[in-house]
Order: sequence, then C-alpha cells, then structure tokens
Amino acid sequence: MTILKTTKLLATTAMLLSGTMLAAQAEDYTITVWAGGTGDTSNYRYDNIVMAADILEREAAIRGEELNITVETQAWSGWDDFKQAVTLAAEAGNAPNIIISGHEDIGPWSQSGLLRPVEDYVDFDAWPLNAIYPNLYDITSYDGVVWGIPQDAESRPFFYSRANLKAIGWTDADIEALPGKVASGEYTLYNMIDDAKKMQDAGVVEAGKGFVPRPSNGPDYWQFYISFGGEMVDAETGKLVLDKQAMTDMFQFFVDAADAGVVPATHLGSTWDAFHEAVANDQAGFWHAGTWTVSEWQTKWGLEDFFGQMQYSLIPAGNENGKANTISHPLVYLLSNAGTDDDAAISAELISIASEPRFNALHAVKSGKVALSDAQASIPLFANDRWAGIATTELLPHATAIPNDVEFGPYWTAMFKNLEASWTGTVSVEDAVNALEAEVTSALGDKIIVR
Amino acid sequence: MRTRTSLLGLGFVSPALSLLFAFFLMPVVLTTVFAFTNMSTATGITGGSHVITGNLLRDLGNAGIDNDVITALGEASFSVTSETLAAAADAGVEPRFLGEIEARLMGQNFEDARSFESALKSLPSRPTRIRELKLATEPFERSILNTRYASRADMEAAITSMAPDAPAETISTIAEASYTGWRWIDGGNFQTLLDRPETIRIVLNTVFYVAATLAFNVFVGLFLAITTFYLPKTGAGFFSVLWLLPRITPVVLYAVMWKWFTWDNGFLYVIAEQLGLPAFNYMKGSVPTAWATIILVNGFVGASFGMILFSGALRAIPIQQLWASEVDGASRWQQIRRIILPQLRWPILFVTSYQTLSLLSSYEQIWLTTNGGPGSTTTVWALEAFNTALNNYTGNLEYGMGAAMALILVAVGLVLSILYLRMFRFDELVNKPRIEF
Repeated sequence: MTILKTTKLLATTAMLLSGTMLAAQAEDYTITVWAGGTGDTSNYRYDNIVMAADILEREAAIRGEELNITVETQAWSGWDDFKQAVTLAAEAGNAPNIIISGHEDIGPWSQSGLLRPVEDYVDFDAWPLNAIYPNLYDITSYDGVVWGIPQDAESRPFFYSRANLKAIGWTDADIEALPGKVASGEYTLYNMIDDAKKMQDAGVVEAGKGFVPRPSNGPDYWQFYISFGGEMVDAETGKLVLDKQAMTDMFQFFVDAADAGVVPATHLGSTWDAFHEAVANDQAGFWHAGTWTVSEWQTKWGLEDFFGQMQYSLIPAGNENGKANTISHPLVYLLSNAGTDDDAAISAELISIASEPRFNALHAVKSGKVALSDAQASIPLFANDRWAGIATTELLPHATAIPNDVEFGPYWTAMFKNLEASWTGTVSVEDAVNALEAEVTSALGDKIIVR
Repeated sequence: MRTRTSLLGLGFVSPALSLLFAFFLMPVVLTTVFAFTNMSTATGITGGSHVITGNLLRDLGNAGIDNDVITALGEASFSVTSETLAAAADAGVEPRFLGEIEARLMGQNFEDARSFESALKSLPSRPTRIRELKLATEPFERSILNTRYASRADMEAAITSMAPDAPAETISTIAEASYTGWRWIDGGNFQTLLDRPETIRIVLNTVFYVAATLAFNVFVGLFLAITTFYLPKTGAGFFSVLWLLPRITPVVLYAVMWKWFTWDNGFLYVIAEQLGLPAFNYMKGSVPTAWATIILVNGFVGASFGMILFSGALRAIPIQQLWASEVDGASRWQQIRRIILPQLRWPILFVTSYQTLSLLSSYEQIWLTTNGGPGSTTTVWALEAFNTALNNYTGNLEYGMGAAMALILVAVGLVLSILYLRMFRFDELVNKPRIEF
C-alpha cells in the first residue's frame, strides 16, 4: 500500500490590526489528518482541510486574532493498513486529530473511547452543516450521538459493456431499457449469468470474464445479500440480522456463477489491476464497482467515452424475495481523543469549513462521488458533471448503508470468509452458512437475530 | 572473593538478561494474558471506562432490569435553576452571559441539547466559538447518557443520582454492564477456535505447508551442498552465492519479484502463452499453483540455509575417507550413500527441527504473495493469527483471539522442540568429546 505523505505548512503572519486594537496572543496549532482508502483522485479529502485552515486563519485575522495552524496530512490507499495504524496509534496515544474513515468504524471506535462526539464541537444549525442531507447524519450517528460529519458518499452500481451486449444480439433500445428492467426486478442476477454465458459461448469475452465482481472484500457484497432479500439490521430492535435464506441464496448465486464458468472459483483475491484492465477495455460483460471507479478508469485505464461504452444500473435483484439496490458507504470526518480540547475545537472548525459545498464539490467531481447537499449539487463544477449528477439523483435514492453497530465488523469478517470458502468450493453453501451462523452466534450471542 | 566474581559475571550478563526479558519473556507473558481476554478494537488494550448508552439501556431492558430504572436512566434534560446556575458559575461560564441566562431563561426546561443551545444563541453575550457555547450548556444538563465515567464508583454514584430508588443489586449490574473495556473470558477464545469449522482446515493447511516446504528445504539444500561439493572450488563458490540471493534479498522485494514471475503477463505467463500452455495468474489463479508458489517462495529461502550448514559439515568430513573409497572403486552414489549422508545426520536433524519451528511461525512471504488465497486455501495458522489480531479489512482487530492463536503456536513449538530434543538426542550432539585433544 502506498502511503502518501504530504506535510503542508501553513504559516501565516497576518497581523493587520488597527492601532486601537490590542494585539492578541498568537495561537499555534498543529492538526494531523489521516485518511484511509484514499487514492490519487481523492486528494481533496485532506486538501480541503488544508484550505479550511487557510480560511480559518483569515477569519481569525479579521477578528484581530493571530491563529497559526499547521496541517499535517497522511493518506493510505488501502483500508487494512490504515485501520491498523489508527487503532494502534490511538492505543499508543498518538492518534491523529482528524480521522477520515468509513462510518462503520464509529461503533467500535466510539466504544473504545478513541473518538470525541463531533456534536459537542460543531453547530448543526449553522452553514454549511445545516445544508447537508439529514439522512446522512443518520449514517454518521451511533447510539443517539452524532460522531462524524459526512465527507463524501457514493453508490455502487452494476455496469454493462454495451459492445458486448450488442455482440449477443441486444439492440440499443434493449440496452437503454435495461436499468428500468433491473429496477423493476424483471432483469435479475440469474438473467445476467445467462447473458454472460452467452457472451463467453459466442467468444465475445474470454471464459471467466463474463461477470467480474469486486476481487476483494468490500461493502459491495452486502448488496447481493439485499438482492436476495437480506436485511442487515432489524428495524424494530436495532439488532443485527442474519437472514439464513438470503445468505444461502447469495452464496449460492456466486457458486452458480462459478459453476456456469462466468467467473472463476478463485476470483476473490485476484488483483484490482486485472479487474480494471478487463472492465475498462470491453474485455468483460458485467461487473459492479463504486461510482468513483469511473474517474479511475478515465484517468488510469484509458476509458474515453464512458456513456458510449458502458451502461449502468442498480445491482439487480437475485430472486423474488429481494430487490434491486445499491449501497452507499459514506466516509466521515471523525474527531479523535488526541490532543487538548482546544485542538479538538479547532479541528472541528476545520471540518465544518471543509464541508463547504464548493470544497465538497471539488472532491466529489474529481473522485466521482455524489452530492452531500442541494447546495453542492448546484455548484457549476458539480452540476456540469453528468456522471456525478446521475449518481446523486438516480442511484443515491435507492441506496442503503451498512450499520454502525460495534459488532458489525466481526459479522462482516465472518460473512466474507464463508462466502470465500463456498465460492472457492472448499465447503458447500449449506456448510458455509451454518459455519457463519455458528461463528456469529458464538461471538455475538443475542446481539444478532438469526432468521 | 568468590561472591564478587559471580556478581561481576552477573553484571556482565545483565544487559543480555534485560534484553531477553524485554524482547522475549514479556511478549510471551503478554500473549498469555491477552489470550484469556476478549480484547479488541472496541474494548481497547489499556482498559475502559463506564458509559450508559441508549443501546445498553435497551439490552438491559431485555435482560429484565426494572423499566422504571431504565426510563430514569434514559432521561435527559436541561434546566435553568439557581443550582445549575451556581454550577455554571463554578465551571467558569462568563458572568455577563450567565446573567443573561438567569434573566431570560430562569426556571425553563429544555428536552434536548439542540433546543437549549438555540435558546442560548439568542442571548446577546453568547460566546462566539461554538465549543464554548456547548461547554456552557454542560452544567445545566441533567443526564448520564453517553457520559464516560473513569471508575465504577463514579458510575454507581451517577446511577444513584438519576434513579435513587434503584436497588443496590440493580445498580451494580448496570455499572458492570456499562464497562467498555476488556474482560477476562477464561478459555472462551480457545472454545471458539474449537467450535469453528474452519479451524481444522487452517490446521491442515499449516501441516501441509510446513511438511512440503520442509521437504523442499532439506532435499534441495542437501542436493546443492553435495553437488557444489563435487564441483571445482571457483564454480562452487559462485553457485553458493547465487543460491543465497533469496535469503539476502529484502523480503518485500523478493515477493515483488515472485509477482513479476508468476503474475498475469509475467515471465511464466508469457512463456506459457508462447508454448500454448494454460497461462493465468499462477500465484492466485488456482489452488495447486498457489500452493506451488508459496512452497517455492519459502523453499528457496530455506534451501540456502540448509546448503550453508550442509556444505560446512561436508568440509568437516576427512577427505581421506573419500580417497580411500575411490581406491576401493566406489561410485559417487555409493560415496554419498555410505560416507557423506551418515556423517551429515546431525546437520540434517538440526535443519529439520530448526526449520519446522521457523516455518510454523512464518507468514510474511505468504502474506506478501497469495495472502492466504485464493479464498482461504493457502491460509496458515500464523497468517490467520496475524490477520485476526492486527490486520484485516474491517479494522476489527481481535487482540484476544489473535493472542490465543499465537499462544497455541508457542505451545506447539515447545512440544515439538522437546520431541525433537528427545528423538534426535541433541544432548549427545553437544556432549563433551570422548577423546581429549
């Protein structure tokens, strides 16, 4: 994993006071910002904090105070290393002031005392935080406390190669009608397997390239659980849910796809490079990925005409129990327990300023994310970006989020491990689901409802 | 005099002893301690505090705690009374602001922080910084929800203040449940490992990995040592150095080179494509090739270790024995079978036992190459322990469970060491020579 280390020094000496004002004492702060899952196109995740520091210093100068903020930023391209670094740094008392991570970390990190509740430091009734969609704050809350400020959001659609669909006899009209059929449940994941098989049989794509799912663990796999009617949280009790039927159907779907030869049994653990290479160059039939990958295909993998080359839709339903859906996995700004209360107050002000729609628009457009507020959607840079607009208006309304529950991590890890085991054929689907049930009930007890 | 010399001796070994204590004994002791706890990201390592949250109250309600107590504990309100005003003055809230609160809001109750804050925001002398405003609300708050208390006594006092009628037993139960840190769970981790169906698969993977890599190490090491022994000295030296490369190359670089070698469009891939053989990512594309890769990756590192030891031992064999055998007309194979191998018995046993133990605990090369995949088909015990305790996608680091797995590895290593010592009679190896030189 690459670690980009950018140390931005923001030194200011703006003392521009009139003779009558008292020279205020200079305040110096060093604020550290760590961001996870942050690749080349996501630099505004931390650069927005750097710009916010500049604005905060200018605001202070106008009030006649001298405020010097040094922002030190560090970004990890992956998640494993990043979460390990944050957790262990926090144990050693060296956590960064601002953490940019997935919202699902709020559960365990708030329990361990790693976080300060952001609601104690910011004003939700003031601009720009009052502009952010209220349902995003539901995602950044846990146990009745708002712990984080949404930094970005996305959705994770299903993609289709137009050329390869045409090669098996689809017309342009068929392809245009596809997203609608997916949304209504008419076109399912099993129809997709059939069509992927047709592409392979016709020699349009190589064997094993008909359907290219995400090669590694990710929130994406919960989408397929929902496609088969699964629920992650029980609405009534707020407890986690393992729907055995949905989980079995979902595991079975990937086994069926492997048996049909449209995806290798050993697909998980293959490389992202191979994934991008295949999907960006019409070597695959069907795949799914986050909205932001489009900008990655354009900048790194030679995709020129996204709308001409690919079609997109929600993740299709798997059977009559489930529905077409997508998951949004917002990243959040979190305040750590590091430093003094004043450090945290300054960090919170930086986060608030960085949530300015114009700043968020820079990040969203550069990295292919959705808008967090109507104001952001109306910023010309954002409004003129067709894909960002579609992701916000067409896909986001159907999005669900994974829960912030403390126990969701163990459940997730066990789900993926057993999905992998059945997909590779090491164990049967039935055994994998039973193993998952045994594992989560022994680890979580009555904190999970098994149906 | 005698005591003084022994004290001096102790003085000399004390740096070594303290290093031994810090870097060997302490980790083992800590691993043992961790193994019997449920320590994880959520509980932290250094200990927790006591918090009552909405979810906890819900769970306590389900567990049969009296509903009145639950309701009382869940209450939250902000009230402006002479008492709370005095508390605010003590907390250092600015007097003019406080005066305005008293004048305009005296006697009022607010159900949540937001409505109280917006009332405060309407006052002329309110602080400009939002954090200061929030701090000013705290003395007016009557709630223990989501407040972290450092000790259990503080928590119990807080519960009593909110629910004065609650029986002592209930208070104690709630305080106990409100602890956020780790707890002792006796053998819970070991029981979970026993219950997990995948445990047996990881054990089998580990046995296969250690056995196959060990066999490769010993046989290839032996083969190299013997063949270079028969080569002319200059050529032999060159080959020996060549075989040392895997060991002296930094492990990350070595793993990257293997990726180039076995990856999509890598060296092997291109050759296989030219020859019309199946070309795919050999490292991750199929179970047999993934196993072959990690056995070779580790095998080449270990083979050089065997080669060095065996070469040294070969040079210790009196050359006259080989000359004599040639006079008697022995073939190369007979020389190896009858003269060399019997005299290499100890080095072979040493390499076998040493490598078993180091392979059991090795995971770096696997982590950097197949990472236990495809699926979890090449996951070995040490890698699983590492991933469980320190490195996984969801960031849910289970220190307790990982330590339990590591402890099992330590125990297996100890048992194997004793077995090897017994079986191969190491004591004879290190005996005083029977002939005095």
